[in-house]
Amino acid sequence: MQGWGLAQSAPYNSCLECHADMAEEMKGSIHSQHQVHCQNCHGGDPAKKDQEAAKDPATGYIGVPDKKQLVKICGECHADVEAMNFYGIRTDQLARYKTSAHGKKLFEEGNVRVAACTDCHGYHDVTAVSDPNNPVYPLNVPKTCAQCHSDERLMSKHGLSSDQFKKYESSVHGKALFEKKDISVAQCASCHGGHGALPPGVKDMANTCGKCHVNEQKYFSQSVHTSIGCISCHDNHGVAPASTALYEQACGQCHVPGSPEFQLGRNFASMISASQGKLSATKDMVKQASIEGIFVEQEMALLEQAKTHVLEMAPLQHTLLIEGIIGHYKKISETTEDIKTKIDRKRQELVWRKLALIPIWIFIVIMAGAFWIKYKRLKEEKHEGSGHE
Amino acid sequence: MWKRCYHWFNERFDLPKIQKPINDQLTKPLPGHISWFHTLGSMSFFLFISQVLTGILLLIYYHPTQKEAFESIKFITNEVYMGWLYRQIHAWGSNLMIIIVFLHMLRTFVTGSYKKPREITWILGVLLFVMTVIFGFTGYLLPWNQLAYWATTVGTEIAGAVPFFGEFLKTFLRGGTAVGGETLSRFFVIHVIILPWALFFIVIFHLFCVRYLGMSTMDKVGEEKKVKEGQGVPFFPHHVLKEGIVLFVLLGVLITLSVFSPFELGEKANPLQTPHAIKPEWYFLSMYQVLKHFPKSIGIFVLGLAPLFLLIWPFLDRTPQRHPSKRPVSMTIGILVVLSLVIFGVLGWVSETRIHVFGKTYDVDMYGKPHLVPAQTPPVQKDIAP
Repeated sequence: MQGWGLAQSAPYNSCLECHADMAEEMKGSIHSQHQVHCQNCHGGDPAKKDQEAAKDPATGYIGVPDKKQLVKICGECHADVEAMNFYGIRTDQLARYKTSAHGKKLFEEGNVRVAACTDCHGYHDVTAVSDPNNPVYPLNVPKTCAQCHSDERLMSKHGLSSDQFKKYESSVHGKALFEKKDISVAQCASCHGGHGALPPGVKDMANTCGKCHVNEQKYFSQSVHTSIGCISCHDNHGVAPASTALYEQACGQCHVPGSPEFQLGRNFASMISASQGKLSATKDMVKQASIEGIFVEQEMALLEQAKTHVLEMAPLQHTLLIEGIIGHYKKISETTEDIKTKIDRKRQELVWRKLALIPIWIFIVIMAGAFWIKYKRLKEEKHEGSGHE
Repeated sequence: MWKRCYHWFNERFDLPKIQKPINDQLTKPLPGHISWFHTLGSMSFFLFISQVLTGILLLIYYHPTQKEAFESIKFITNEVYMGWLYRQIHAWGSNLMIIIVFLHMLRTFVTGSYKKPREITWILGVLLFVMTVIFGFTGYLLPWNQLAYWATTVGTEIAGAVPFFGEFLKTFLRGGTAVGGETLSRFFVIHVIILPWALFFIVIFHLFCVRYLGMSTMDKVGEEKKVKEGQGVPFFPHHVLKEGIVLFVLLGVLITLSVFSPFELGEKANPLQTPHAIKPEWYFLSMYQVLKHFPKSIGIFVLGLAPLFLLIWPFLDRTPQRHPSKRPVSMTIGILVVLSLVIFGVLGWVSETRIHVFGKTYDVDMYGKPHLVPAQTPPVQKDIAP
């Protein structure tokens, strides 16, 4: 196998004489842009015009590499710190792949019906991972994985289900990814890893979800449920948007309805729902006051405080300690009550302003009336005076 | 006590000597045709005094900087005792002042009072009207909210279209290439120092002319008969009582408008976010609408003629008649000008909005032409907002 140096010093490529179509594929690839050519993966000496000489085994020619060879060929460059250093690309892909379920099956069991580099990244037309058309661009990862993982026959051979993509598609993560095009959201590789793809065990579930849901993980680690992981309540691939209805659905899976634990769950649900309700009603009240022309700057600031408390409840509930939730509930109640009092006072003030117009206008009418009477009297006097004359 | 004070001053200032010209002015009779319309001048003066007083109160808390202007107005409105009231009276006062000064000018036009020997009084009046409008324009920016910022941007852009020195004028007004902190400082200085004093001295000169030349009668130019003592309407107390009545009513109207229809502060100025269909203040709407029909420099030339014609009008209209029925040409021109102001103002107001008339919806284009919107089209623009 030849390295980067040779690739750069190959002015003539005899492979293209027969494989012009592949050259076309290679044109836009990231490899051809960085002088990685045919011989870097397939061996051979493209400088030789004679086909036999070019494909002489002495030149390292291997033809189409098998899966094991393929992984090693890719690894030769991509695990080379010196070569990758300038591209800012990590070099642990090969090491990680070997620890993955895919890698273990390939290298330990010799099972070639597993994903290797080209299955996910493509081969001749490999583009940068940041290219939105790349199969491992975050938006495309689920579909790339689904090429195999939605294949029922293939998955049944490994004892795996094949409905992950369908579940993911309808999950809160899937909707964010596919509908909102939010590439920061969790997709297959976020939880399972990319090159080191492994299903996270229940033990590691909190850490896996905690990569994004940092506060939830922090509080969950204080709860009595650490051993059952996140998926016991939230599911994995089909994770639905979290709501207080989960307490009703999930607690009942393990706890008998009516038991103290089940009741505790309901208390959590009712307090969180009540807090959300108070926030929503107060928000409407502030909006209405604003429409009425009341200045609600201070109330908006207080509303933000209440909103923060409600938002904090979401991760905090994972401790399953009711005291924290009660504390937040009290703060929300006090803040929303404070907002209501302030708005009522301002509304009352507006009423007073309008009522104050009554005495003001009475005063104006009296004064204007008095001036008018005096004016009329003077006019009459003047008229009479001029009449006498 | 009063006697002792009088005696003290009399020893030093010879009070009867001072009192005489004052008494002469107070008792000076006004012509018999003096009506309620002749109180518009004192209403304008009252509004000017109100603007000065409420302006002083606003100045106590107002900070004329880009960072603090909006917040300080918010503070005045929300926190300061009665701050909301004097801010609203100031805002409404400025609008009413423009209307009343204009009506005062209109009354002078209709009664032909601008004619000899009162040409200078008229010119001073026109200057006062222009200054009142500039007062409004400069004051509008001071709260530093979105509407103010963008209206000022549009306004100064118009100034930039003046031929030859437009670019200089625009930069001079803005204090830079765009409306910013420098513009605020300039407008603040113009609004609270230059204009009030300039207006004050011109008002004094205007009033001096009014008193010195006396109120115009409806007699022909050169045939005016001086109102004799005991004839006509005495200025004090007769006319002053009438003025007192309208001033009380005006005060009530000001307070009522402030309570029932307060000016909203809106959002803080954001130079990076241009609001949809930004428009200048209502008193510039007709001018703004006219400008749309001309290339910039021609538009400015056309609009520049308006104040010029107003200034020299007494020298253009040299007919001796004062009564409106005997001045058909002048009156026709006057009516056409007022009508065009109203029509272009309304067109400017409705332009680039969606209006609903008799159950049908129309999108009004920038020239004020309505286009019927098919029933299913989702709304793309806001309804007309007052």
